[in-house]
Amino acid sequence: MDLLGAPKRGMFRDFAGTGAAGLPNGCDSISEARFALPAVQDPATFVETHFSPGTYEDNGKRVKFSKGTTTLAFKFKGGVIVSVDSRASQGSYIGSQTVKKVIEINPYLLGTMAGGAADCLFWERNLGMQCRIFELRNKERISVAAASKLLANTMNSYKGMGLSMGTMITGWDKKGPQLYYVDNDGTRLKADENKPYFCVGSGGTFAYGVLDTNWSFDLSDEEAIELGKRAIYHATYRDAYSGGVNNVYHVQENGWVQVYSDDTYKSHDKYSAEREAAANP
Amino acid sequence: MSGLMEYNGSAIVAMTGENCVGIAADTRHGIRQLQTVSCNRQKTFQVTDQCFVGLAGLATDVQTLSQLLNFRMKLFTLREERKMQPRMIGNMISSMLYEKRFGPWFTEPVVAGLDDNHKPFVCAFDFIGCLSTAEDFVVSGTTSEQLFGVCESFWRPGMNKDELFETLSQCLLSGVDRDCLAGWGGVVHVITPDEIITKKLKGRMD
Amino acid sequence: MVEVEEPQDYLDVFQSQRGGFSFENCKRNAYLAAQANIKPPTAMKSGTTICGIQLKDAVILAADTRATEGPMVADKNCEKLHYISKNVFCAGAGTAADLQHTCEMMESQMELLRMATGTEPRVCTVVRRLSSMLFKYQGYIGCALVLGGVDVTGPHLYQIYPHGSTDKLPFTTMGSGSLAAMAIMEAEYNENLSIEDGKKLVAKAIRAGIFNDLGSGGNVDVCVITKETGGAILRNYEKPNERKFKAQHAAFPKGTTPILKEEIMKLVSVEEDVVMRD
Repeated sequence: MDLLGAPKRGMFRDFAGTGAAGLPNGCDSISEARFALPAVQDPATFVETHFSPGTYEDNGKRVKFSKGTTTLAFKFKGGVIVSVDSRASQGSYIGSQTVKKVIEINPYLLGTMAGGAADCLFWERNLGMQCRIFELRNKERISVAAASKLLANTMNSYKGMGLSMGTMITGWDKKGPQLYYVDNDGTRLKADENKPYFCVGSGGTFAYGVLDTNWSFDLSDEEAIELGKRAIYHATYRDAYSGGVNNVYHVQENGWVQVYSDDTYKSHDKYSAEREAAANP
Repeated sequence: MSGLMEYNGSAIVAMTGENCVGIAADTRHGIRQLQTVSCNRQKTFQVTDQCFVGLAGLATDVQTLSQLLNFRMKLFTLREERKMQPRMIGNMISSMLYEKRFGPWFTEPVVAGLDDNHKPFVCAFDFIGCLSTAEDFVVSGTTSEQLFGVCESFWRPGMNKDELFETLSQCLLSGVDRDCLAGWGGVVHVITPDEIITKKLKGRMD
Repeated sequence: MVEVEEPQDYLDVFQSQRGGFSFENCKRNAYLAAQANIKPPTAMKSGTTICGIQLKDAVILAADTRATEGPMVADKNCEKLHYISKNVFCAGAGTAADLQHTCEMMESQMELLRMATGTEPRVCTVVRRLSSMLFKYQGYIGCALVLGGVDVTGPHLYQIYPHGSTDKLPFTTMGSGSLAAMAIMEAEYNENLSIEDGKKLVAKAIRAGIFNDLGSGGNVDVCVITKETGGAILRNYEKPNERKFKAQHAAFPKGTTPILKEEIMKLVSVEEDVVMRD
């Protein structure tokens, strides 16, 4: 039972600002709204040992997180292709096969979801909020660089506290199509000519294999979409923790469009027939 | 979720019908969650004309145990010049596992067979040889929780061989659709008094 | 002088290794566990309610029928009452495989003893053998037993703990539901009960375990052992947890499941003509 107004005596304080590694208390802007932190000596260690998802396993006492993913995004001459699977697993149990792992931050920005589903969803929604406020203040759209930096800053302020997020932020701004990778360590990487694509999640290695062989900057839109599908199919086939529906988005000059969404069950027939044909010409 | 039982992933289910019995298994061979190595790993083994043993668990032990089983079956036929009945096979597996009580094989077998009177017999074991027989169905492997659930609602008494096949396959496929570590196709064997029907299932490949 | 061993083929090796526990996998398993940093898998346990009462000229044992594997009900109707000889039975709680095999081992020992001595085994013999064996294994064999029987000296009821300690009691309960069952026993046990009332009492005690202990469930099995008739297991004496509903949907029509390949192996019976030659 919770009594309104009564001070909470639970594990979490209502509002903290004291113990959190010297972080500012109060919030003069939305971006600085903070989580309540556990009322213990060292919140970071406490959260890390009790509530963080392991790489492949959840510690017995830890909370089960939804995770296990293949997401990828690559730049090419026609913009950016974002392709993702849709499986959410909790341990080896498949929690859902129909997760939307592309988060539509606003009509010009997309984020992807890997790691803790709740963490990604919450912080990318928070990012959407910050971007809107930027627009209202400055009367122009935020650049992808700035947006991804906002997210990276948030991640940096919670560094070591057990957030789990590996995301790609992509969009089209004044400088053209942009693609960034941001994760819970505060890492922020820019996709450029040397590194035109990112794959995030447990199936990422398999997707990298496909992209490394088939990617080129001069792909046509159709070819690029096909490459996105192919990479995700192969990742779902080999990786236990990826599967379900393949969603593909195309970031264009006037905002993103969802170009494909279908069950990988159907793609298997197509690609295995292709493989058969290649083996027996 | 990291144990030797979950290392390779497996789903096995056996069910009784009217004068028939069936066993179904998935075909994935994975190495932990990291990758799916192959999609045609054998998990069910024919030990006599009318008896199959399904072995879920650590792949290396599954192979070793299947060979050991083969050896014991041959030795028995040489010595006794008769066929082992499913119940006897069950008891033999039980003692083979219990012999290794303090250094076990990491496998949970399932036996499905028809005896000489065409009466179906299914039983399952834990990894140290606790035999449990059932009138309806037994399950084993990483998907066992899901399989228990679907089988409880899909199994019905007195199924004929076609109904048994459909029920077994649907239970297996629905079960593995909720397990990351099993699936990638399946095999079903239905044993009737005069034939053994083996079908490869088309399942989800993710 | 060096003794030269006869060369053995694999059958001899196999034969020489029979009987007793084999530890050949231990090293490998320890290595695997250390490499992968994993805990051993869970064996089937019976989070159980078992009980027994001793009456004037009978012993009655009872048990629930749930076997669990972690939080999962692995078997809804398993048998926890074990035959040891015609006049001795036992109910077991603990690791299911240990119980099954320990009781089977005792059954064969008692049968051999019966054939060697030409007398029916006494309950105290069974208890002594079990307790020495369990003590020898220092509790690693997880058997908690309620053992009862009627022999030349009358009815006896014992309980045996996994480490080998024993008690001789007029009534007893064991397993995770033992507290619930004991509440009933303490309130209602009386050594002058008739066999019929005794059956009702043990069933009520087990029901208390089934309904109040999460580790116990399913049906009630009862075993009555008397001097005149020996022992008999009344399997599913009470079924307080029958499923209230059955699947209502139609069976899957033929061809529901997509198939890649089908093979049919016809079984034919072969009759051999044995020709005797001189």
